[in-house]
Amino acid sequence: MTQLHLFYVFAALVTFCSVMVVGSRNPVTSAVFLVFDLFLLAGIYAMMEAHFVAAIQVLVYAGAIVVLFVFVIMLLNLEQESHGKVRVSIPDIVMMGITGLSFVIIAFLVARVPSMATVGEMTPEAIAAAGGNTYVVGMVLFTKYLWPFELASILILLAMVASIVIAKKDKAAKPGRRRTVNANQ
Amino acid sequence: MGLDLQQIQAFLDNEFAVQLIATAIKFAVVFAICIQVPPIMIWVERRAPALMQRRKGPNRVGFFKLRLWGLLQSAADAVKLILKEEIVPRGANKIFFQIAPIFGVIPALLIACAIPYGNDFQLFGYNIPLSIVNVDVGFLFILAVSSLGIYGITIAGWASNNKYSLLGSLRASAQMISYEIPLGMSLIPIVLIYGTLDLNQIVIGQSNLWNWGIITSPISFMIFFVCMFAETNRAPFDLAESEAELVAGFHTEYGSAKFALIFLTEYVVMFILSCLASTVFFGGWQIPFVPHDTLMQLIGGLHIPVLPYLLDLVGWGAPFLSLSLQEMGVHSLIASLIGVAVLFIKAGFFMWMYVWVRWTLPRFRYDQLMSLGWKFMLPVGLANIFVTAIIVAILNFK
Repeated sequence: MTQLHLFYVFAALVTFCSVMVVGSRNPVTSAVFLVFDLFLLAGIYAMMEAHFVAAIQVLVYAGAIVVLFVFVIMLLNLEQESHGKVRVSIPDIVMMGITGLSFVIIAFLVARVPSMATVGEMTPEAIAAAGGNTYVVGMVLFTKYLWPFELASILILLAMVASIVIAKKDKAAKPGRRRTVNANQ
Repeated sequence: MGLDLQQIQAFLDNEFAVQLIATAIKFAVVFAICIQVPPIMIWVERRAPALMQRRKGPNRVGFFKLRLWGLLQSAADAVKLILKEEIVPRGANKIFFQIAPIFGVIPALLIACAIPYGNDFQLFGYNIPLSIVNVDVGFLFILAVSSLGIYGITIAGWASNNKYSLLGSLRASAQMISYEIPLGMSLIPIVLIYGTLDLNQIVIGQSNLWNWGIITSPISFMIFFVCMFAETNRAPFDLAESEAELVAGFHTEYGSAKFALIFLTEYVVMFILSCLASTVFFGGWQIPFVPHDTLMQLIGGLHIPVLPYLLDLVGWGAPFLSLSLQEMGVHSLIASLIGVAVLFIKAGFFMWMYVWVRWTLPRFRYDQLMSLGWKFMLPVGLANIFVTAIIVAILNFK
């Protein structure tokens, strides 16, 4: 049962890193632990033989999104603001209670209700027989889930265009202002 | 002697143990090679411009009359770097300042695991691949792990508490993020053409000279070639450490062994990208016009009884004395090792290109760099994917 033991190691590390993300005072420390977190999650995916998802997880989340987090934190230089004393208020306690309760409920459901803990038809062997991870994911994305996939892409494109429109300075709005060379950059 | 053939046979029957030992040996060899790349490259990088500028370059360090064209200068530099005092600047974030070079070097050495240095070989009845990890998504693994290299640079610049370091690291990481996208896009046509994400399968697909990636997808190679330089922050894209503006960029405050580690990272990434370029576009371990099977047959027919004679000295090589390499079962191992040498020759050419370009072209301006990446490489890369996809679809249409 080496795989199970490895899973426990990864799970414990993921939990530790997640706690450190919310618990550490320095925002850069939080961001670095977030990277570890995402990387270890990719390790768990890889242990489930889902290599494609693992690689994409590292490529997109750890390699691109959190880099931008680190950028923003570094440029804003948030460190000075992080020395306030942590105070736990009543809403915080309520939220913690709700979170803990939901965790217990989910753990109970997974352990007790058989339909939530069964193995689906796409076992690692079935995927290997069907032509490998990437092939299976690609086939499902471009046949069964084609429309949701395309709609999601358009949504992301929309967000990109919207952010460019918002960031772009309007030339016509201020006719009296002298245009500088770098007005659009 | 303590060696017992029965015990050896029992050990060889355990596949897990054999693969574990093989992986450990591969790890050690690849790590040793990666460690040796920077000193040799630094030597090349000093002697090559000397050659181009008609001067001598470092040629003094040596012992007795043996000077080895100054090759020992690198060894002397390495010793000097390691023996220097470790300094952490005042006001720096101590933990991150120490960790940052390690953040850089781990991804660099991880990518080295996924390169197929040679074809799989058969030994003792087992199929042993010559890449350390043999994931079926080798391409994505390399792209994913190489994108983590940014953290080392970003955190190093931020933790130094120095404006030049911070500016240098911002430049470097913005540049690496920008050029990662065309780099990934230049590889997608290759995946489309060879129909696999497994790097070794791609090399097997390039069995002929006219099957090489550079012939089947030349535009991909051009994009990849430019991105190779930008990803490693090398000239003409070395704005991250442009001396006249930023002292030394993100590693201004680094010295001694930590600086050596940063240097190691830079050269290992260069070496890995060179290996990747030769793997994807220049047939990897394939020798042009000599298919791997032919090579195996050629080697298999040879009688080189050096190893049996050596074994005979120990006392149990006698049964091997009259056998050919194929009958001894080592011909595929030797063929694969020849493939490794071929790959390293090809990669060495790209390493030379790095030096050559550095001492030939002047530096870009930063806005030129960004507009080249986003306004030229990205659209060309997308168009390349589109056209390649259509052509592949037409060719596969039945």
